[in-house]
Amino acid sequence: MDRSRRNFCLGAGAAAVGAAALAAPPADAAAARKGGDPANRWAMVVDVRKCVGCQACTVACIMENAVPANSFRTIVSTYEVTEGGRAGTAMLPRLCNHCEDAPCLPVCPTGATFQRRDGIVVVDNTVCVGCGYCVQACPYDARFINHETRTADKCTFCVHRVDAGLLPACVETCVGGARIFGDLNDPGSTVSRLVRTQAPKVLKPGQGTDPRVFYIGLDPNLEGKVEGTPTLWRPSARPHAHAPAAKEHA
Amino acid sequence: MDTNIVEVINVTREVAWLPWAVQYFFLIGLSVGGVLLSLPGYAFAREEWRATGRVALLVALTCGLAAPVALLSDLHQPGRFWHFYVVFRPTSWMWWGSLIIPFYVAGLLVYAWTCLREELREHGAVDSRLAPLYRLAAAGGGRNDALIRAAGLVALAGAAAVVLYTGAEVAVVRARPLWNTPFLPVQFALTALAGAAGLVLILNRFAGADRAVEVRVNRVLAATLAAVMAVGGLWLALGLSGIEPTHAEALGSVVGSEAWRVTAVWAVAATAVPFAIALARPSGTGLLTGLIAVHSAWMFRWTVFIGGQSVPKTGAGFYEYALPAGPDGLLGIAGTAGLWLFLLLVITAIVPTPRRPASGPVRAAPAAGRAVAAAE
Repeated sequence: MDRSRRNFCLGAGAAAVGAAALAAPPADAAAARKGGDPANRWAMVVDVRKCVGCQACTVACIMENAVPANSFRTIVSTYEVTEGGRAGTAMLPRLCNHCEDAPCLPVCPTGATFQRRDGIVVVDNTVCVGCGYCVQACPYDARFINHETRTADKCTFCVHRVDAGLLPACVETCVGGARIFGDLNDPGSTVSRLVRTQAPKVLKPGQGTDPRVFYIGLDPNLEGKVEGTPTLWRPSARPHAHAPAAKEHA
Repeated sequence: MDTNIVEVINVTREVAWLPWAVQYFFLIGLSVGGVLLSLPGYAFAREEWRATGRVALLVALTCGLAAPVALLSDLHQPGRFWHFYVVFRPTSWMWWGSLIIPFYVAGLLVYAWTCLREELREHGAVDSRLAPLYRLAAAGGGRNDALIRAAGLVALAGAAAVVLYTGAEVAVVRARPLWNTPFLPVQFALTALAGAAGLVLILNRFAGADRAVEVRVNRVLAATLAAVMAVGGLWLALGLSGIEPTHAEALGSVVGSEAWRVTAVWAVAATAVPFAIALARPSGTGLLTGLIAVHSAWMFRWTVFIGGQSVPKTGAGFYEYALPAGPDGLLGIAGTAGLWLFLLLVITAIVPTPRRPASGPVRAAPAAGRAVAAAE
């Protein structure tokens, strides 16, 4: 079944067959899941070779989810990589990895953060106390404190759209077709096929989080914490603090 | 092959644990240290430790009562604090903390009451309009070493639980290599004890300047700072040797930063200097060693929390941090310090620090003069 943005049909004939080589969640974690349809296991494959760094996904996410100014649920990190005398631009769309063994879940002291049975990690912002523990625990810097709700915030795979049979906003708007969303439980889905055949990578595999956002064509230098020269421009609530010398604060 | 990467666009994540958290970990640590320093004199009735214990008890009480306010303020939704108490979340150290804090503070209050009961009874015996209230507070009793010991052991259990949960809460965060080390709980505990000894030395200077207390606590401070340096040295050795990948990664994430190198030199100096002074001249230097030790304990927590959160988990370089002037920054720090000072004034007004050992007779003093006497 094709889960690309051109032909997306949710919930129809999803077979409860796991994709090859993907680990099952820990038993206690699986037992704690609630909501969502266990017949599905939503995932995203990002083909970075197709990403042009237009940030349309970033903007679509902000518009769809009313993300406050200077906060981001997803962003396309952009790097200039020079290797062997050849320079190129590398894109890396970042978002919540909706990990199978998500480290943000056990630390939550109120249960506001939980994983649905379809694998989507969500935050109930009517329960969240804004303690920020999950923000610390996420190895991907995917979470932040929303200044308007004063609670933890993150990508939800646009769960409200997925439940309505739509694609996440970032996938819907991606001009290069770099973001592919679908059901890993459906062996015929595009994401299942890509995971089976393209041997995609995940970010920070050493953390043991078992992410469900996969990358095709990922530069190994960008897999973990990037060692390089800091960004020349970063979206920030404090635009005045941009001098390079001011970037280091211990 | 040489690879050079320039990060052109990425996101800056703001700190999620604010300076309020620094204040909490600082104050609760000092409170625990105060409990530990008070135990020999009170719970174990060692008379030579009694005067030290009296000042340490003041440290434990003032810091222990101010700390939960700072913690509550660090929640972005403080009005929802009760959400902790309607769920069972044993996988979260913070949830355990929500149980441990009330246990610790309640135990501390009971322990302090048993320790101060003798003074309350003596205040109730003088001709004063407040005497009936003091007699009521003393509940008709005086010094009861068995009760003090029992309450002290409960307070010790609470203190141990606080040390365990505050250390584990941060050390389990695998996503931050700087925090994810078994050394961190030990470092929190040792620097807390050093900070508490420092605050005892400062308060002792302003409440009678008891030389015996000064020498005793300076020696405790020197021993604690020696342990702080030993543990810090072990952490550094593990990071430099590369034997343990997490420590090597932690060191590697900051070693290239000029700001972090300056911070490291500063931290070493703020530990080694009071250690040397306290060891060489334990008498007459209490105010100086105390101030540096308190500064050092606070700075350690600032570096761990604010500095630690400025290290991106995925991006290059460091996140920017500028201390806001408002409640989430400078005002929060000043406000917490103000709350601590207020508590100090209130407690020393109600039970002024005796100029002689607590077991001796207490001079009756007008209520208005007590705070002044205590603050002298």
